[in-house]
Amino acid sequence: MTSKLAQGTRRDFLAGAAAIGIAATTGGAGRAASSDAQTEIMKREVPSTREALPAIGLGTWITFNIGSDPKLRAARTDVLRGFVDAGGRMVDSSPMYGTSEEVIGHCLKEMGGARSLFSATKVWTMFEGFGITQMERSMQLWGLERFDLMQIHNLLDWDTHIRTLKAWKAQGRIRYLGITTSHGRRHDDFARIMRNEPLDFVQFTYNILDREAEKRLLPLAAERGQAVIINRPFRTGDLFDRFDKHPLPEWASEFDASNWAQFLLKFVISHPAVTCAIPATSRLDHLKENMSALHGRLPDAKMRERMVRYVESL
Amino acid sequence: MLPFSAEALFGQFGQYNSAIWPAPVSAFLLGALALWLLFEPRANSGRIISGILALFWAWNGAVYHLAWFSEINFLAPMFGIFFLAEGAVLLWFGVVRDQYDYRLGRTLADWTGLALVIFALAGYPLLAAQLGHVWPETPFFGVAPCPTTLFTLGVLLMMQPRVNWPASIIPLLWALTGASGAWILDIREDWSLLIAAVLFVPLAIAKNGAALR
Repeated sequence: MTSKLAQGTRRDFLAGAAAIGIAATTGGAGRAASSDAQTEIMKREVPSTREALPAIGLGTWITFNIGSDPKLRAARTDVLRGFVDAGGRMVDSSPMYGTSEEVIGHCLKEMGGARSLFSATKVWTMFEGFGITQMERSMQLWGLERFDLMQIHNLLDWDTHIRTLKAWKAQGRIRYLGITTSHGRRHDDFARIMRNEPLDFVQFTYNILDREAEKRLLPLAAERGQAVIINRPFRTGDLFDRFDKHPLPEWASEFDASNWAQFLLKFVISHPAVTCAIPATSRLDHLKENMSALHGRLPDAKMRERMVRYVESL
Repeated sequence: MLPFSAEALFGQFGQYNSAIWPAPVSAFLLGALALWLLFEPRANSGRIISGILALFWAWNGAVYHLAWFSEINFLAPMFGIFFLAEGAVLLWFGVVRDQYDYRLGRTLADWTGLALVIFALAGYPLLAAQLGHVWPETPFFGVAPCPTTLFTLGVLLMMQPRVNWPASIIPLLWALTGASGAWILDIREDWSLLIAAVLFVPLAIAKNGAALR
């Protein structure tokens, strides 16, 4: 049922995308990107399994932490439905995000489930027992029997939880394991764990102004064969506050960007080591803008340098 | 960075106010009683006013922060403990030990305190409604932390002969915490918390200094 619904509205979405001038071609400018034959959605492979994932997912920090307000929950259900309809798969959350996991579970129930969903959450507590209890609670909140990806949030008690995650992966309770950080914190520890542990995924902050990850974490992930999730691709909206008042450069059309969301997301997902960026939004129109970055050409290395020079000049 | 939006916060206030109704009315009546006692002190005024304040802080700690706000803010349990601690301070020193005396004096601190009390009772909800946070989403005095803090700071400025600092620390801390909401979430009525804190400290120092002379 979800799949049928998704196909129907995806056509509508693509029609809308075409109307605003987005070319439905992928892999432009020399980028290695696979694409779905029907939808032309840009995908990246998870190095450890070769599973292909759409290069844009959905974050839930702040936006899905809305308590039990029925009106707000209905609006978020529309957002999640729009995400799935547009071909999105990865939804990322955390117990730290208040009611976000509960709200995701509610939305999925309202939608009758989403078979294509790639569920990603985190463990965010101390001690083995608390971690297990929290992860089991997350499964209940999402209404799932297993998670696709479980990550250790901000490395909190990581050496304890990684033992549990390895055991859970062996038991099939999770498919992938990973670690996260944000705001550029603890990169030394993060890199050390990336080198020493068998991680499937790593998640950290990267955007057109916060590019520290280019120096070490992104090359290291590529070297170690770890999939990379990028949080805060818009710096929690700050980049729109800075750039929205400025015109998009004409040459943005060379990589099929017609708005700032596409410009900023295409910068992130055009990095060869990035698997998936997870912008968060509470608005369907913004979601559609974000997802439209999955279509068209991507900037090449030279163009990326030009993009950086442009935004730094604003 | 806060883990929730203003939309989520006021959406929750709407549900909270509806769930606890008519507690906001009871709180308003208790606040009005405290205000009357500030003008017309009685033998047990200090105990009664301290008891009312202790009840407000305990309610905000246990019901608002621990039972409700913790749903969307992982820091709320810590806030709840601080609010309960303030309630305990007011209960122990103000009610049990009867050490707090409140009445309207003639200093600038007292008149500023009176203005804060009246603003917390009536001005804050009216301003919030004017800024779009209409019933049931309006944070009400006595059952919501920010107007309760404004009221408490006002009453504490009317302590005689001196303002008690131990009872003032947590309300001042919350005034700064709440003002962060004004900045981050654009909740403009909460700029009043920063103004109250900025006024409170020099006025309390001046009042206490004058009382020593």
